[in-house]
Amino acid sequence: MEQLTAIGINHYLTISAILFALGLFAVMTRRNAIVILMGVELILNAANINFLAFSKWNGGMEGVMFSLFVIVLAAAEAAVALAIIINIYKIFNTVDVSSVDSMKE
Amino acid sequence: MHSLIQLSIAVLLLPLLSFVILIFFNRRLPRRGDFIGVGILGTTFALSAYIFWTVIVEHYDPAFRVAWDFTWLDFGNVPGVGPLQVKMGIVVDNLTAIMLAMVTLISFLVHLYSTGYMKGDKHYGRFFAYLGIFTFSMLGIVLSDNLFSIYIFWELVGLSSYLLIGFFFEKESAADAQKKAFLANRVGDIGMWLGILILYSQFHTFGYQEIFQKLSAGEFGLSHAWLTAAGILLFMGCVGKSAQFPLHVWLPDAMEGPTPVSALIHAATMVAAGVYFVARIFVLLTPEALHLIAFIGAFTAFMAATIAITQQDIKRVLAYSTVSQLGYMVLGLGVGAYSAALFHLVTHAFFKACLFLGSGAIIHAMHHEQDMRWMGGLRRNMPWTFATFIIATFALAGLPLTSGFMSKDAILAGALGFAQTEGTWYYYLVPVLGFFSALLTAFYMGRQIWLVFFGESRTHLKPSDPHDHHAAHAHDGHDGHDGHDEEHGHHPVHEVAWNMRLPLVVLAALSIFIVYSPDPLDGGKGWFMKMIPTPATVVGGEQHGISEAFMAMSAEEHGTAAAPEAVQAEAAAAEDMHAPAAAHAEAVTEPHPSAASGEHAEGHTFADPRQAEIAHLTHAAHNRAIQISTVMVILGIGFSLTVYAFKVIDPDRTARAIRPLYLMSYNKWYWDEIYQATFIRGSMLIAAMFSWFDRNIIDGMVNGIATLTRKFAFLNGSFDKYAVDGMVNFTAFFVNTSGGVLKKLQTGKVQTYVVMVMLAVFGYFVYYFAQLVS
Repeated sequence: MEQLTAIGINHYLTISAILFALGLFAVMTRRNAIVILMGVELILNAANINFLAFSKWNGGMEGVMFSLFVIVLAAAEAAVALAIIINIYKIFNTVDVSSVDSMKE
Repeated sequence: MHSLIQLSIAVLLLPLLSFVILIFFNRRLPRRGDFIGVGILGTTFALSAYIFWTVIVEHYDPAFRVAWDFTWLDFGNVPGVGPLQVKMGIVVDNLTAIMLAMVTLISFLVHLYSTGYMKGDKHYGRFFAYLGIFTFSMLGIVLSDNLFSIYIFWELVGLSSYLLIGFFFEKESAADAQKKAFLANRVGDIGMWLGILILYSQFHTFGYQEIFQKLSAGEFGLSHAWLTAAGILLFMGCVGKSAQFPLHVWLPDAMEGPTPVSALIHAATMVAAGVYFVARIFVLLTPEALHLIAFIGAFTAFMAATIAITQQDIKRVLAYSTVSQLGYMVLGLGVGAYSAALFHLVTHAFFKACLFLGSGAIIHAMHHEQDMRWMGGLRRNMPWTFATFIIATFALAGLPLTSGFMSKDAILAGALGFAQTEGTWYYYLVPVLGFFSALLTAFYMGRQIWLVFFGESRTHLKPSDPHDHHAAHAHDGHDGHDGHDEEHGHHPVHEVAWNMRLPLVVLAALSIFIVYSPDPLDGGKGWFMKMIPTPATVVGGEQHGISEAFMAMSAEEHGTAAAPEAVQAEAAAAEDMHAPAAAHAEAVTEPHPSAASGEHAEGHTFADPRQAEIAHLTHAAHNRAIQISTVMVILGIGFSLTVYAFKVIDPDRTARAIRPLYLMSYNKWYWDEIYQATFIRGSMLIAAMFSWFDRNIIDGMVNGIATLTRKFAFLNGSFDKYAVDGMVNFTAFFVNTSGGVLKKLQTGKVQTYVVMVMLAVFGYFVYYFAQLVS
């Protein structure tokens, strides 16, 4: 228990930051659109951890509520994003984002 | 409306109807419609004769006058002028009745004559149409009751004169002559119009009667000199139309027109319109204006007579004679011999029309030979023409038993009376020039008669040189009559047909004394002088105020004023002024008991002392005038017979002996040359100056402005091209370049964008912490 109480908000935030950095790294470097989507999920979860950590240390329920919203939103987002990816695949016959650069013009 | 007015309107409009029918339909009518012209004019003459009979014979009232008018144009209240109304009206009085009868009679006779003279002309129908519009305009002048409408008709006769002078317009000389006539008349008409405007500015009316009434009531707001100026300006109209010096030059050239036209327009009627007009405005002429008129008339009479004695063309002699006789009439008006001048107008109209128609008959019979040098002996070939021509010549020369004798002597008596009244020596120039002109008249007419009718025919003497002026001239005259001439060939000269003889006989008959007066020595005993009494002036001399002067009627005239409503209204208007003026008249005429008695020749008194004295002295000078002028006429005829019949003096040798004088006369006192050198050259010079000014200054200015505008436009264009376009282009270039740089950032790869966002966030943090640190 003592060990547990030694875990402070900094630990949470550190985890969250690492998670965010990993997600961001995935988004920035991966070519597969699905992997990028996974990176986005990581970023969202990093944010969730932040919400929960602050909620726990702040004592209110707002953070919990917010993280629930984010999870719902992430689910919706995943659905939409997957639909987009499927469409991209249909049109470009690939899910490699580096070759989908028609937004250039 | 008075029945006479209705008749007058019919008389006025019938010739217009003739014009309208003939100008449009003459080619569709049999005989080109000449019977319509003659018929309508015959009707017109019949109506005029009826008017004449009613007014002159039945009523026999010297003050007869009926008038009618209507408002023709109403401009309402014109700013700066006041109420402006233009009325048209007709007045019938004794003078009108006589003029109507005279104009329509001569016009009718000329129409009839023209059916013979103009036969075969290619514009035969048009000729009658022109005669119709001329007659209409002339009757308009005669019937007008105001200055505005007389001015309109004045211009219309000018137009018809223009058309008829240039009737043979293929001939260059005819086209030139018509232009000359029109321009000379324009000069006079401008003056006349200015005169009308002076009167209008003061009286705000154009009507004669209103103007005279207002003038005698002293409503003329300007000085006496302005009234004189108005009179002289109005007289300028007469100078133009009646061919007085210095605008006489057009009339002799107007002989280029067909001879019937010369008879109708340029001898009998239109040229007399000027005299008629001056007679209409006679009462408002100041003594100063009358003096000028008298001198101009006297000088014109003399100058034209001296020119006539050396002319070779039969019509030119008559033309200068016309100018001279018109000078007499103007002289007569100027000296105050009003009735005499109008009497001469009428008698002259008849005998001069007779002379012109006679000369037309001769020219017709001689196949358009006009030069008297190649005539001669025609009395045997053309007895009718000869007889009528002789009678008219006697009338023109002023031999006793003719109408011309009476009228000319009445004028000369007036001139003598005038000179005696004025007193100063130079006023005697007027009667002296008048008498001397009478001598010259007798001389040149004797010469003409002898050259044309006596001796042997000189046709064969005519040089056939084509360059000879007269030959060329005569040949040109053929143009309209080609077919006619072919048919005549070289047959001997024979008398003209009845339709040309009849007018001659009628006109010659009207040149005999008995028509006008039972006493061949005194026209004053005749009906004419009684019916046309000299009206009393409405302006005084400088010594009398204008307001003192009095309207036209004497006591006697008041008593006899006949029924017509116009006269009564006038009489009522004048009634209250009458008494003091009559008293005035008696007071001032006292020095001349016979005048004051009011029972001299014309049978009425004058309020104005000057007029009264002239009338008195004229009456006294009557016998002396007869004696002097008879002597002059006998001298003139005797001299012409000495030269041309008995050949005591050789005309050619005499001409050589007094060559400068001969040349001066033969070349018409060089007026044409003088005008050529002064006015025409002057106009040309001014025109050249203006043209130079136009070409160099005005055009220069326009071109300068154009050049300036072009230069400025060029500058403006450069500014547009380089500055404005440069800015726009630079903006485009800048946006293009920066777009080119920036578009590299837009890779279309989402991940690059994420990297950028990250970099931005990172940059923000760096900035934030740098802030924190510092």
